[in-house]
Amino acid sequence: MLTSIKTNEFAGSESKKLAMMYFRVAIVLFGAQLLMGLIAAIQFLAPGFLFEVFDFSVARMVHINALVVWMLYAMIGSVYYMLPDETGIETVNIGVGKLAFWVLTAAVTVVVLVYIFIQVGSGTEATIWLINEGREYLEAPRWADIGIVVVVLTFYWNVFATYMKGQKTGIMTVMVANLMALAGLYLAGMFFTDNISMDQYWWWWVIHLWVEATWEVFVGTLAAYALIKIIDAKREIVEMWLWIEVLMLFGSGILGLGHHYFWIGTPEYWWEIGALFSALEPVPLVAMFVHVLYDWGKEQGIAKAEGKPGSVMKNGPAMAWIVTNAFGNFLGAGIWGFFHTLPQVNIYTHGTQFTAAHGHLAFFGAYATILIGMMYMGIQGAYGIERLKATFRSKMAIFLITFGVVGMTVALTIAGYEQVLVERADLGGGWEAFFTAQNLPWYIQAQVWRTIMGVVTFVGFIYLVWDLLTIGKQAKAAQSA
Amino acid sequence: MGTLFEPFTDVVPSFFGWLNQGPLTLTIFLHTVIILPMFWIYFQEKKKLNK
Amino acid sequence: MANENRSVWTSISFWRRSAAWVTGFAVILLIWLTFDTLGQISMGTDADLKNKVTKRVPAPTVINYHIDYKYNAKRGHEVPVIGDKQPFFGKEWSEEEAAKLLHLGKLTSQAKNCMDCHTLLGNGAYYAPDLTKAWLDPAWQNGGPLQGMTGKNTVEEAMAEFLQHPSQYPTHARMMPNLGITAEEAKGLVAFLKHMSSIDTNGFPRNFSQAAKREQGGTYAH
Repeated sequence: MLTSIKTNEFAGSESKKLAMMYFRVAIVLFGAQLLMGLIAAIQFLAPGFLFEVFDFSVARMVHINALVVWMLYAMIGSVYYMLPDETGIETVNIGVGKLAFWVLTAAVTVVVLVYIFIQVGSGTEATIWLINEGREYLEAPRWADIGIVVVVLTFYWNVFATYMKGQKTGIMTVMVANLMALAGLYLAGMFFTDNISMDQYWWWWVIHLWVEATWEVFVGTLAAYALIKIIDAKREIVEMWLWIEVLMLFGSGILGLGHHYFWIGTPEYWWEIGALFSALEPVPLVAMFVHVLYDWGKEQGIAKAEGKPGSVMKNGPAMAWIVTNAFGNFLGAGIWGFFHTLPQVNIYTHGTQFTAAHGHLAFFGAYATILIGMMYMGIQGAYGIERLKATFRSKMAIFLITFGVVGMTVALTIAGYEQVLVERADLGGGWEAFFTAQNLPWYIQAQVWRTIMGVVTFVGFIYLVWDLLTIGKQAKAAQSA
Repeated sequence: MGTLFEPFTDVVPSFFGWLNQGPLTLTIFLHTVIILPMFWIYFQEKKKLNK
Repeated sequence: MANENRSVWTSISFWRRSAAWVTGFAVILLIWLTFDTLGQISMGTDADLKNKVTKRVPAPTVINYHIDYKYNAKRGHEVPVIGDKQPFFGKEWSEEEAAKLLHLGKLTSQAKNCMDCHTLLGNGAYYAPDLTKAWLDPAWQNGGPLQGMTGKNTVEEAMAEFLQHPSQYPTHARMMPNLGITAEEAKGLVAFLKHMSSIDTNGFPRNFSQAAKREQGGTYAH
C-alpha cells in the first residue's frame, strides 16, 4: 500500500490517491488502537503494569479514540475513493482536500501526543480546551473539536460540490444526505455543562446517532458501491436495497436512541421508546446480510448460466471482508445489541462488561470489516489489477482478526454475565459488590481469555499490514507475467 | 409519580408521560404514526405504476 | 394497464419516499421528545429544595441536604429521597457557593478523565466502580471500610482525603492512581458525586440499598 502511492495506476484520479493517503493513516491508527487495547487488557490482570506511568484511563482513552479516528479516516478515504466512480468526474477541489488531510493528521498527532504525555490537567476550562475533554469517545480537546469541524466541512463541501457537478446516483444521494447528518451531529458534543444528565443526553446524540444510525447508513452505501464494483451487482437492485436499509436503519435507529436514556436522569417514558425502537434495530442488519449473500449467489448463478467459468468476484479479499461485515454487523450490532437493549435486562447489564463485549464485536463487525474491505479495493485500483485474489496472508489476516475479536467478545460476555449476576443482581452494586465480582475466578479467567484473544487479533493485524503492503505488487507481477 | 397504569407516571407531567399509560402504549402509538402514512405512499405509488 | 405486473414493493421510488418520510418524521419526534426531556432534566432551584418539590436533577444546593436512596413501591424501584439539612464540609453552602463548587467538581471530573476507568450514570469504562450512587455507598459511611481507612469522620472528608492521595489508600490490587487532585478540586468532586447521587435514575443501579442493609446485618426482605 505504501509503494502504491508512488506507482499507482489511478490514471489521473487525484481523488483516489487522496483516498490511499487516508487509508494509510487509518491502518497506522488501527495498530495503535490494538496496542493500547493490549496494555489495558494486561492492566486488568496485572494492575501494577505501568501504574502511575501510563494508567488504564490513558490506555483506554487512546484505545477508543484511535478507534474512532481510524474509522473516520477510512470513511473519508472510502468516500474520496468512490466519488470519481459514482459521479463520473474528478473530485472538484483536490488541493483543499489534500490540505485538509495534512491539517487533520497534524492535529491528530498533537492530540495523541498530549494524551500520552500530559494525560490529565487541573480542573479548569483550560484543560477542556487544551488537554482532554474527559467525555468518553469525545475526549478530544475543544481546539481539536473546532479543527475537526473545519476539516470535515471542507471535506463535505468537496463531496457536495462534486455531487452537484457530476451525475447523481442513488448511492451518492444517500451518501451526501447522510454525511451532512454525520458531520452536523458532532456539534452536539461540543459544549460544557455542570448538569451530568444534560451532558450525557447530548453526548448520546453524537455517539448513538453516529454508530447506530448514520455510520450504519454509511456502511450501507459502501456495501452498495462495493457490490457493484466487485461482483457486478445491478445498480437498480442495489439502490433499492439501499433505500430499504435507510428506511429501516433510520426508522429504528433514530428513536432507538431512547435505549441510552433509561438511567441517566431522563423520564421513564424512554423505557418504552428505547425498548421497542431499538429492538427493531437488528432487522435492517438481517436485510443487509441477506442482500449481500443473495446478490453474490445471484450474480454467480447468472455467470454460471452464461457458461462463464470461475468466480464472479473481482476482488477476493475485499469480498471476504464485506461478507464478514454483513455477518459481523448482524451478530455484533444486532444480536449482541439486542441482548441488553430491553430496560428489564439493561437495568442489570448497564455499566458492565456486557457493554464492552457488544462494543468490540459491533465496531469490528459493522465498521472495521467493511473499511478494511475498502482498503483492498483501493489496492486493486492503485495497481490496476483485474482480479485480486486472496493470498495466504489475506486469509490468515481475516481468520485471525475475526477469530480474535469473536474470542474477546465471548470472554467479555462471560465476564459481563458474571458481573450482572454477582455484582448487580445479587449484591446490588456499589464498591464492595464491584470488587467481589472482579475477584471471582470466573471473571479473571474471562479476562485472561480476552487478553489471549487480543494477542491473536494483533497477530492477525500484522498479517493484514503485511498483506496490504505486498498483495498489490504480487498480483501486478502475476498479471503482467 | 404513579404506577404504570396511571396517567403522568413520571416525576413531571408531560404529553409523552400522559401517553405512557400502560404496557407499550406510547411506543405503539409512535410506531403507528410513523408507519401509517406509508400506506398512503404505497397506494399513491401503485396508482402511478398503473398509469 | 401495461405495467400491471410491476409491484410497488420493487419500486425504488416507493422505498425512497418511505425512507424520506420515516427518517424525517422520526427526527421531528426526536426533537419534540428532546424538548420535553430537557425541560425535565434541567436542574431544579434552591426554592424547589426548600419547598420539597421533587426534581429529576436537583439544584446544586442539594449538597446541603441528607440524601437517601429508598425503595418506592409505587414506582417499583429505588428513588433518591432528599431529607433534612446536613452540613457539607462543616457548613451550609449558599446557592452561589454550591453552584461554583459543583462547576469545579464537574470540570475536574472531566479534566481527570474519571470516565475512562469509572462509570458515571453507568456510562464510561468498567475498570473501577460505578460512581452514580458512590455518595451513598455503605463503604464510605461511618463504620465502612473506606471511611475507616482515611481516618476521617464524615463521608465528604473521607472521600476528599482519598481523592487527593489515592495510592496511599490501596483499596484493591487495582488502585486509583494519583491524578494531582488538589484539596479544592477534591471538595468539588465530592460535591459532584453527592449531587449525582440525588439524580432520579429510574432505579439504577437496582437494589443498591440492599448492600446497605446487608452491611447492617439485615436481610434481603423489604
